[in-house]
Amino acid sequence: MKKKFIFLIIFFIAIFNYSFAIENNTKLENKISKNLRCLVCQGQSIYDSNSDFALSVKLIIKNKLKEGKSEKEIYEFFKSKYGEWILFDPEINKKTIFLWIFPIILFVFGGYLIFRKFFIK
Amino acid sequence: MFYTQLGNYSLIFSFIFSLLIFYSCFKNINNKTKQIESNIFSFLSIQLLTIFLSFICLVASFVVSDFSNETVYNNSHTTKSIFYKVSGSWGNHEGSLLLWLLVLVLFVFIFFLTSKKHPKNYRIFTIIFQQVIVIGFIFFLLTVSNPFNTLFPIPDEGLGLNPILQDPALAIHPPILYLGYVGSSIIFSSSLAALIEDYVNKNWAIHIKKWIIVSWIFLSLGIMVGSIWAYYELGWGGFWFWDAVENISLMPWFCLTALIHTIIVLEKKNHLKNWTLILSIATFTLSVSGTFLVRSGILNSVHTFANDPNRGIFILLFLFILILLSIVIYFLFHKNEKPIIKDTFLLSKETSLVVNNWFMMYFLSVVLIGTIYPIILEVLTNNKVSIGPPFYHKLLSPFLIPFLIIMAFGPKLKWIKTKFSKIKLTNLFFLIISLLISSFIISFTEMKYLFSTVLFGASFFLLFKTIEEFFIKNYNFSQKISHLAFSIFILSILINGIFSTEFSTNMKFGDEKKINDIYIKFTNLKTLNKENYKTIITSFQIKDEHGKIMNFNPEVRIYNQPEILTSEADIKSNIFSDNFLVVNLLKDDGYFNVRYQVKPFMLWIWLSVVLLTFGGILSFFRR
Repeated sequence: MKKKFIFLIIFFIAIFNYSFAIENNTKLENKISKNLRCLVCQGQSIYDSNSDFALSVKLIIKNKLKEGKSEKEIYEFFKSKYGEWILFDPEINKKTIFLWIFPIILFVFGGYLIFRKFFIK
Repeated sequence: MFYTQLGNYSLIFSFIFSLLIFYSCFKNINNKTKQIESNIFSFLSIQLLTIFLSFICLVASFVVSDFSNETVYNNSHTTKSIFYKVSGSWGNHEGSLLLWLLVLVLFVFIFFLTSKKHPKNYRIFTIIFQQVIVIGFIFFLLTVSNPFNTLFPIPDEGLGLNPILQDPALAIHPPILYLGYVGSSIIFSSSLAALIEDYVNKNWAIHIKKWIIVSWIFLSLGIMVGSIWAYYELGWGGFWFWDAVENISLMPWFCLTALIHTIIVLEKKNHLKNWTLILSIATFTLSVSGTFLVRSGILNSVHTFANDPNRGIFILLFLFILILLSIVIYFLFHKNEKPIIKDTFLLSKETSLVVNNWFMMYFLSVVLIGTIYPIILEVLTNNKVSIGPPFYHKLLSPFLIPFLIIMAFGPKLKWIKTKFSKIKLTNLFFLIISLLISSFIISFTEMKYLFSTVLFGASFFLLFKTIEEFFIKNYNFSQKISHLAFSIFILSILINGIFSTEFSTNMKFGDEKKINDIYIKFTNLKTLNKENYKTIITSFQIKDEHGKIMNFNPEVRIYNQPEILTSEADIKSNIFSDNFLVVNLLKDDGYFNVRYQVKPFMLWIWLSVVLLTFGGILSFFRR
């Protein structure tokens, strides 16, 4: 029991250390730029890149947020301009539906197989 | 010049011997004696020696900077330090495949020596399948990616190694990862051999379990080293980006982890034979497809350094042959198992281990489809989609909750049947405590409240249950260690994920700023000339919100051959968090892009993986 309490205490102390105040707009800005692909780089996000392209996209995001655009509107804007390739978070639509449901179907099917193997007499 | 020639002939020589082994193995099968003929052992030794010699020759060509060798010319430079000359020999496509091959024949040799107690024909068939892989690889090396191609006239200077690869972690990353990948080839061959010889039983399970655990240990460590490298070198500050090449190493890992669990059922209960075989085949197939996808260049990834379509087609063909071979053998030889309905119940060790596999396969399918879907979609419809971290988070994290909870109870269940007794008071206590702690943590963030609380709660619950396990006497110490490590791993990732903070700003020498209660000051700037690069060392002073002052010296390096800029982050690690500062050179007006990150529990992620593999190592000493 003692050890458990020591662990608990360690975690509490650790957690208290990291309660930060968050500045809202920069955080959203970072989040959006992380979800966009840097089109001229090799697999990097806009956030991680310092290419001219990434820098200008970051500026656009900043301005759009200042204009009061929502996160979704900003994604839509970039999608209409550069195509779906720029979004790291694929939308659910006709083209990507299989992507989203395939693992789920597999999971259900796997569950059925296990059930059949063990429990159907 | 000399080494290149010697290496080349040695490789050709090994090809001939591999064919010889293949032939004499077949001859040996019909032989009624119980022993494997001694000439097979001699051939295997020669094969190992010739390939080893060939590899040493490549390293030697790199060390003496023999630019008559095309591989050396493309990947080395005289000003490179000796350490990177050596590691550079496997930091490129040709050399890394030669290393792959070396590990492959080494493992065949070790297999031969350590399997003496097992039936003769089973061993011979394993060696035959291994030789198919060996021959395929040597042929591949000799035809489309020979590390010993010569150049004439001999260039004076090489093109140099990609600077981001000039790093100690990346020097050891490929060898460790390959030990894991190639270990799975033994599992593959031995399963096919056991299938043909009808040797899929308890003895086989005990024997192959060692190979599974060895591969799993190396693969885990290999992935970790790669991830550590990405963390400090690529400057993302993240340790996992769900990048295609990272995913590819993760897929065989899921398979191996599933195998570690099923093989126990096979060992103790003689069930799930076919499933074990399918998993063994899948593991190796995924390892080879990994090599294919990385080397063919069809992936858009930061890791794709060298590629050539010819090679891709070759590996694809090779992969196709392997899969076809295993499918044919599987359908010819597999036996239907007797149903196990009668003697197992819902609450039993069997079901909990199967449920582990169920989830592992789900995780695998998510990663697999996320990695290959963009390729397939582009080929079929010419549409490009990107699949990034949000996709994986959305599909994986909800399933993590039941997985963690089942994992908390699984090891306690007994074989065949466990009586469902009343819910124990301690479990209820743990559950309440876990949920309280997590709801407390989540209240500091802007996360979705209910979902995050439950997810955190499940992880804490697993942590408490695994700690509790240590107070219960039974012998399975390695499993306890690994499960504890896994719970710490998940928790550190979650805490790291939600409590990481960062900012990014542009500064020039002398600037001082205050961002989110953190003072940052650009205090110094100096330029140094090193042997093969110029470095700009910057100094920053940061005063965080608690008034703690830290000094950072991140660098920007400008390598001469090839001319590439890299950023060397300065990371201050301690047990609670990493403070990470990285600078990038902006245009020539003296401004730097400065990114500061605080990443809690970063060290714990690496340590828990080490602990996880330590659990695997311990299992070798179990009685």
